[in-house]
Amino acid sequence: MTVGGVPIPDVADLAGMRRARHTKLADLLETAGLDALVLLGGGAVSYATGAANPGVDSGRAALLRPVAVVVRGERAPHLFTPYPEGAPPELPADHLHGPCYPELDEGVEAIGGWLAERLGPKARLAVDELTHALAGGLSGFEVTGAGAVMAAAKLCKTADELACIRTAQHINELAMTDVRPLLRPGVRQTELTARFLRRVFELGGATCAVDPIWQVMPASRAELPWTTHGDIAFPTPTTDRFLRDGDVIWIDAGITWEGYASDFGRTWLVGSDPTPTARQQAQCRRWREVVAAALACCRPGVTALELDRAAIAAHGGRRPWLEHFYLAHGVGTESAEMPLIGTDLGEEFDDQLVLRPGMVLVFEPVIWDEGAGGYRAEDLVAITDDGWAPLSDFPFDPFDGSP
Amino acid sequence: MSATAARRPGPALGTMASVEGARVDFTRLRADRRRRLLEAMAAAGLDALVLGRPANALYASGARQLWTAGARPFGPGCVVVAATGRVHLLSTWDEGVPPELDHDELYGITWNPARVAASLRAIPGLAGAKRVGTDGLSPGFVPFLRGVAPDAVVVDGGPALRAARTVKTPDELACLATAVAVAEAALSALVEALHPGVTERQLLGRYAERVAELGTPTPPSDAVVCATPSSGPVTRHHQAGDRPIDPGQLVVLEPGALFAGYEGGIGRTWLVGAEPTSAQRALASRSRAAVDAVVAACRAGATGEALLSAATSTGETLGVGPVAYGLGLGVEAPLVAAGFGGATVLAAGTVLAVQAWVAEAGVGGFFEREVVVVGDDGPCRLSRYGHGPAGTR
Repeated sequence: MTVGGVPIPDVADLAGMRRARHTKLADLLETAGLDALVLLGGGAVSYATGAANPGVDSGRAALLRPVAVVVRGERAPHLFTPYPEGAPPELPADHLHGPCYPELDEGVEAIGGWLAERLGPKARLAVDELTHALAGGLSGFEVTGAGAVMAAAKLCKTADELACIRTAQHINELAMTDVRPLLRPGVRQTELTARFLRRVFELGGATCAVDPIWQVMPASRAELPWTTHGDIAFPTPTTDRFLRDGDVIWIDAGITWEGYASDFGRTWLVGSDPTPTARQQAQCRRWREVVAAALACCRPGVTALELDRAAIAAHGGRRPWLEHFYLAHGVGTESAEMPLIGTDLGEEFDDQLVLRPGMVLVFEPVIWDEGAGGYRAEDLVAITDDGWAPLSDFPFDPFDGSP
Repeated sequence: MSATAARRPGPALGTMASVEGARVDFTRLRADRRRRLLEAMAAAGLDALVLGRPANALYASGARQLWTAGARPFGPGCVVVAATGRVHLLSTWDEGVPPELDHDELYGITWNPARVAASLRAIPGLAGAKRVGTDGLSPGFVPFLRGVAPDAVVVDGGPALRAARTVKTPDELACLATAVAVAEAALSALVEALHPGVTERQLLGRYAERVAELGTPTPPSDAVVCATPSSGPVTRHHQAGDRPIDPGQLVVLEPGALFAGYEGGIGRTWLVGAEPTSAQRALASRSRAAVDAVVAACRAGATGEALLSAATSTGETLGVGPVAYGLGLGVEAPLVAAGFGGATVLAAGTVLAVQAWVAEAGVGGFFEREVVVVGDDGPCRLSRYGHGPAGTR
């Protein structure tokens, strides 16, 4: 159960983890011949700096953005932030700057001047994202995309990063344990959210990453919303809809801890003593068979396409995931990041995607049994040096479904 | 009398619909927004808008989509075409999509850039667009759009979006007032839960629970509780901690709420388990005086500079945080802070959060936030709540 020869620790060494991430980015800058990374995306800033920022709505996040600048050859990143107290303790004082608000011309002038002074007016910069003001402010520099550098850094996690994901997942799972008893007829979806969020924060979760989903799933597609592709509509947002005895709900929720995201998925039944039918039990069993078949292939060197094929074979030759999603996706400082397995990027893409130690896979197949609804859950694993290790640990009850 | 004739807002501050209709006329609200956006596009000479920000997509389409925390990476989430007046939305399903959007105006989730381009090419009127405004950029977007609209120049859509969004309609103001009322309800729950020994985390948990119970389950910010130290230096923090709160600490409470996407909020500072000291009362007076001065300056025609002057007019110095920022579908322009937004000119009907933080070593910190509507004759406060044991004059 090692990654790069290192066992996944129970408790992450956070300072060591941040150091390792900075070293990775610094090496990648060197290799790419870039002078600096300018990062605006929340997950990228979190990865590059380790800064703790409050979870906020998208409008606030865009206007009051922290910005990270990683300069080639420097021992620490620079952080421009309205939340200075969230900077990690080891960040040197002269690397912690006031906010630069890249939506605003004043902010862009300041950061453009700072970059020119530090790196010279012809520096090669990579940016993950631009505002119009920033595009104007950086027009004198040579600007390329930071996507390749960030993807290369983030694709394979260190053992400490995996420990963070496992902790986030654990908090998410404990909170869900406390939501379960509320699943009685008459409870509203928003009441489930209320209990969930309360417990997440009490248990040490840092932020809520997504409005938790408690989607009621009917027996047949015709009762689901219209879709562009004819496949199942999921996930649809939570409302104050109340739940009824026997309702099947598909759950999807995610939180963060130390910048790393969890991803929880299960199927539950509403009622005081929920008892799945034989067909419902079979759906859960099939879900577990599909994941077991994919996991049986999981080790370094295997391609994503081999996983797709194993999952499809375990489902009688049919694709057991939604048209608009995937068999599995990665998770890290974003709730869905590379590797993406089974998307509409096609077989060629998956054939070139080779599993490596430190990759995280969130398996989220969907088993649909027209006329009797379906089963969906999510399980997380890390690819290790010689196989895989679980990062999630949550029961399937009231289903059994042991393969 | 038409079916959509305005009723007086009266007590219409609930979050649920009634049999006679929703408390806010959402059909009219969406129609007004679309009309304003198309007018702003015409004034700015834009043939199309390609929107990536969730709030802009919501403004244009009226669709209730999945809420996720943080800024979304830029991508074509919603497209508005001036020539057709149509709004096209990235949505694989019609759940949450208002009836004025037809199925052929929805395009589905894909991971494949070639499919994104194909979806956009299928949008009537986009291929011939000459000027396309966006609300963000990714490094590859300009070449990508060339494959969709070969003659298009990509320009900043921000001015047109601000022209449409900044001044609120009466329906939007009703939504904002509702969101403020929910935030006040959450503040009340926080005050009830505040006692010596409770932690910031527990209070944050209670806050999130309360806003969700009230039917608005997506907190606009997790930065809600900050217990300030009563000894030593004082800084404001935004992450909840595990330390039990001591008697005599001043605790900042700044809950928010999102109703139909519109953000309300309020900020107060409460004292825990002790009588206020004269130093704490003095701090509270300074904070309230600073907020009141800025609120009083919130009148049509006032500049950001005037707000910054007002913020220091009572003797305070400007800190890192904003003095004022816009509220609508979440936080929006203008942003007025030290070194930022001085040239802003306020228009009547703009909604602002106005705030002040003052701190003194050995005493603690005091923060207040009010939400106001800028008016021709002066400000109108949407937030209304007592000022706590230390802040009551």
